[in-house]
This record gives sequence, structure tokens and C-alpha cells, in this order.
Amino acid sequence: MTETVIAAKNLTRTFGEGETEIHALKNVDLEIKRGDFAAIVGPSGSGKTTLLNILCGLDTLSSGDVQVSGNSLRQMNGSQLSRFRREHIGLVFQAYNLIPVLTVLENIEYVMLLQKVAAAERKERVRNFLVKVGLEGKENRFPAELSGGQQQRVAIARAMVSHPDIILADEPTANLDSETGGQLLDMMKQFNHELNMTFIFSTHDPHIMERAKRLVTLSDGKIVSDESRN
Amino acid sequence: MLWKLAWRNLWRNRTRTALTSLVIAIGLLAMVFTDTMFVGMNTNMVKNATNSMLGHAQMHAKGFRDEQDVKLTLNDLDQALANLDSHPHLAARSLRVITHAMLSSSGGVEPVLSLGVDPQQEQFLSKFDEAIVDGDYLNFVSGQNLILGWKLSEKLELRPGDRLVLTAVDAESGEMAQELFRLSGIFKTGEGQMDSSMVLVPRQTLQQILKLEGKVHQIAMRFSQLTHDGVPVLPLSGQYQSSGNEVMLWTELMPSLYMMTQMTDISMAILGIILFLIISLGITNTLLMGLYERLFEFGVIKSIGTTPWQTARLIVYEAICLGLFSVVVGLALSVAGTALFAHYGIDYIGIEISGITIQEKIYPELEWSRLALYPFLSIGFTIIASVYPAFKLWNMLPIEALRKRKL
Repeated sequence: MTETVIAAKNLTRTFGEGETEIHALKNVDLEIKRGDFAAIVGPSGSGKTTLLNILCGLDTLSSGDVQVSGNSLRQMNGSQLSRFRREHIGLVFQAYNLIPVLTVLENIEYVMLLQKVAAAERKERVRNFLVKVGLEGKENRFPAELSGGQQQRVAIARAMVSHPDIILADEPTANLDSETGGQLLDMMKQFNHELNMTFIFSTHDPHIMERAKRLVTLSDGKIVSDESRN
Repeated sequence: MLWKLAWRNLWRNRTRTALTSLVIAIGLLAMVFTDTMFVGMNTNMVKNATNSMLGHAQMHAKGFRDEQDVKLTLNDLDQALANLDSHPHLAARSLRVITHAMLSSSGGVEPVLSLGVDPQQEQFLSKFDEAIVDGDYLNFVSGQNLILGWKLSEKLELRPGDRLVLTAVDAESGEMAQELFRLSGIFKTGEGQMDSSMVLVPRQTLQQILKLEGKVHQIAMRFSQLTHDGVPVLPLSGQYQSSGNEVMLWTELMPSLYMMTQMTDISMAILGIILFLIISLGITNTLLMGLYERLFEFGVIKSIGTTPWQTARLIVYEAICLGLFSVVVGLALSVAGTALFAHYGIDYIGIEISGITIQEKIYPELEWSRLALYPFLSIGFTIIASVYPAFKLWNMLPIEALRKRKL
């Protein structure tokens, strides 16, 4: 039986109060299994980013609960959530969001430094991932010296190098041209296949959706369809 | 990694960091330079005071300083001298006879304070010999010559070689006694009181006039080893105070000057607090500007696993890096600035403070303990200045920071 990585029950997120109240998510139930390669899709304002933010504990819930690897995020304070994300969740942002004053190598090893991984192991893992994302030889460059696609590859390497249970990516290809975006998704899918790593990413690009093994469609804060594809 | 990140973050806006560093560095320079100036000024004034006539300490019969009674001479002078001479750091002493008198010439009559001295001994205690501007210094411990201040000489219309009469009350009978003198020289010390109302006469002559043969009113002393405050390293209590005599340090003889030197520390503390507070507010502002500019980035850092405490530390580390860099610049400026003025001096000659006229240039004096203290305070205040921005960041949810980009 495949292990459940994320179990989200009855998720509701409301912004504002009274007449200005907006329901970004309404009673959403979602279960993600290990090895999933799921796309959260839907039009702008459907609640994709809010759902991803809640799944990684960045945003708070109005009601409901999220369990990641059996741990309820609702019970954790800010420090505990930071540590939990560090150990269990890898994040990839739309605009790459590398730390501009750190080199490629330093960006990738940043989380491992927080985890206090031994220097030799850090170097080995960084070297492996640089090869995997095709950036060997660029480890001493700063983000500003890389193209958008290369920066996003570094961001994926940073998210994966600490061996998290799940990678959450918020529109990872939105700032890339379709060819580069497709290559990036192929790379993520390859990691999913080879390393059995779980990916959830949001997108509204039909070409990207085609690559997902599972398609969760949101509309007005509700899941309107959840289909698995081969 | 946090230190590396802090240091590199600091230099993302080079102009702003350089300007903030310069503010801290100039603040440090101001503190160090003001402090060295105060120390130099204090040293100068204490030196002027103790060199002019006071000495580092004086011995009198108890009550003499208050009553100025001519009969209150030192008790058991031989024993007192023997005790004093046994002090390992005694460099010089001068035995003085002191009385108020009237000095008359063909030009008029003036009240004076007459000092009976041994000219050779007195050369090591005061600078009357160097202050002679017309005529000659006294030569002998006896004789009928005297010297007086230039203001007094103008009042009495005197020139070297003129004759004049000193009238005083003798200690034995209380009768008036007069003696004819010849003006040997005129001195100009720069001290208003001395130049306008003091005469120096040979000690034995004054002892004869006052019928105090073998007796003195005061022994002024100089010592070879002094503490930071300018007092003898070894105490002058016990045996030195016996037989109804008392020894007083210059700090007791000129309490206003001593208080002024002591108030320097308080003044510096107040100045330091004001200066560092202003600088701290500037640093807080700089750090807050940097924080708001990089808010989204801090959101990312927090999102990928940096705890609130580690993120707050990042801001404090940036402040420490800023403080350390600024202190290096500030110390370089301080040492260079102080060395420059310590070489050339600052000319306040002729200005009178607390009854002491500055007679030499003031040379700033660098005290190494202070040079260590002020950088430490600079960094301390820089860290304090970072507490508010750090707390603000510590308290901020990553999602709030991440949303800032969309504003």
C-alpha cells in the first residue's frame, strides 16, 4: 500500500471579514501519496497558491487540518513549522527566489547547513544535484549570472537536496518560455520517476498539465475534479 | 553561513553601508578625540597648577591654611624633614615662610603675599625663575633682594634696581617690622593672582623680619612617581602627618580643579550616550530600510527552513558586521587624528579655566583603555540598534513577507 504523504481534510481559508469576506478555499479534502506527480490547476483566483501555502504550513487555516508525513501542521508554532519545512518539504517558487548574495553552490547547500549536514556529505550531495540539474561547472556563479531556466534548476536542486518528503512548486514554469518550462517539467518528472520523489505543482499552462500524472482542478476554492493519468 | 550571508547582504547597497559606516566611524572619532582632548587638558591643567607653586603636596601646621596665622609654623621641623626625605619618590621640596604684608614704593602701597624661599630649592617646585621677564631671579637664601609680579610692578611703578619697603607683623611680639629691599626681577606667570600680589624674598631674611629663625610655614613637595590622577603613588599618611602637622595633596589644596578633572568622566559619559543614541537611531533606520527592501527575500529564507530566531540573528549579524567594519575605520581615523594633534598640539595658551591659566599647548593623550572601550560601546550600541528590526523580522510570518512582492 502506498504511503500517504499529505492528508488534508476540510480545508477552509477565509480572508477578510463581513462584507469583504472571501473564501479562498472551501472544505477541500486532498490526499497525496508518495511518488505522486500532481498538478493543481485552475483559473487565476481559484485558490491554487493558497492551497499550496497551506499544505506547506506557510499560511494558516480558518478550519480543517493538514497532516504531512503524519504530523499535524495546525499544532505547530512558527519555529516548529520552519524546522518541519526544512526537514520534510522542498519549496520551488514562481520567480526562482534564490538568495542573490550566495553562489549556486551556497544556495543549494543552504538548507543542509541549517540541517547541520556534515561538510563532506554536503559537498557530495551538491555535486550530485548539480550534475542532475545540468549545472556542473556553474557552482561558483551568482544567481544574477544565470538565465531564468538555470535559476529555476538551482531552485529545484535546493528543494531536493535535503531529501524532503515532498516538493511543492508554485507555478514553477510561469516565468519561463514554453520550451524551457517543458524541459524543467521533464526534469522534475525524471526525478519523480527515478527517486520516487513526490511533486505537487500548480500551473495553468496546458502543455505542463499534460505531463502531470494526476490533475487536481480547483475552481472558486473547491476541488471540482481529481483525475489520475497514465 | 548566516555570517557570510550577513556580510554579503551588508554590501548589497554599498553607498548606504559606506555612509552608515562613516557616521559610526565619525561618532567614534568624535568620542575618542574629545576624550583625548579632555585627558590632555586635564594633564595640562594639573601640570600647570602643580608646577606653578602648588607642588604635588604641601605640609603645614594644622590650622595654618585656614587661619594664615604667622605663628602657626611647622612643628618639629627636623623630624618632619627626616620623615619626608625617607619617602622613596620625593623628587624635590621647598621650605617656605609665608605672610601677608604691605609693599610700598615711591609709586604707592599694595597688600601682598610674601613668600620667603630658598631660590635653589624653589626652582624645582615652581617656575618663577623661568617666568622672569625683566631683571634677575633671586640668588641667595638671604639678602635684601626680592622679585614680584609684573602687574604689581606696574601698580607700584617699579623697575629692577628700585628700592621698596616690606612691612609685616612679627610672630613674636605682633609688632610691625619693616625691611628695605631692592627689586631684583619681575616675573610673569600668567596667573592673575600671582602676577598682581605676590613677592618672593630670601627665606632667611623673611624669617628674621618675622622673628621666625629656623621655622617655616610650609613645605611644598614634588614626587617622581604619580598615579593617573597626578597624586603620589605611595601614600603620605601616618608618619608624615605626625606632630600636629598635616600633609595635603594638590587634590585637597585645589578641590575645584580636582572636581573638574573628575567631572570629565561624567561629561564624556553624557556626551557618549547622546552621540551613540543618535548614531543608533541612524543604524536602526538603515537596517529597517534594508529589511523592507529585502522583505520578500526574508520570506523565502524563512519558507525554506530558517527559523524566526535564525532570521532575527541574521539582522543582528549584519549590525555586528557593520559595527566591526565601522569601528576599524573609526579607529584608524581616531588614531590618525589624535596622533596629528598630539604632534602639533592645540593652542589654548592664555585661557583661564578653574583659576588655572593654560600656559602650554594642549596635546591630546590617547589612553589605550579608552581606545578599547569606545569601539566596544560602538559595537554594543550597533547591536542594540538592530534589536528592533530583528524583532520585527522575527515576528513576521513568512507568508506576510512573501506577499510584499505583490504590493
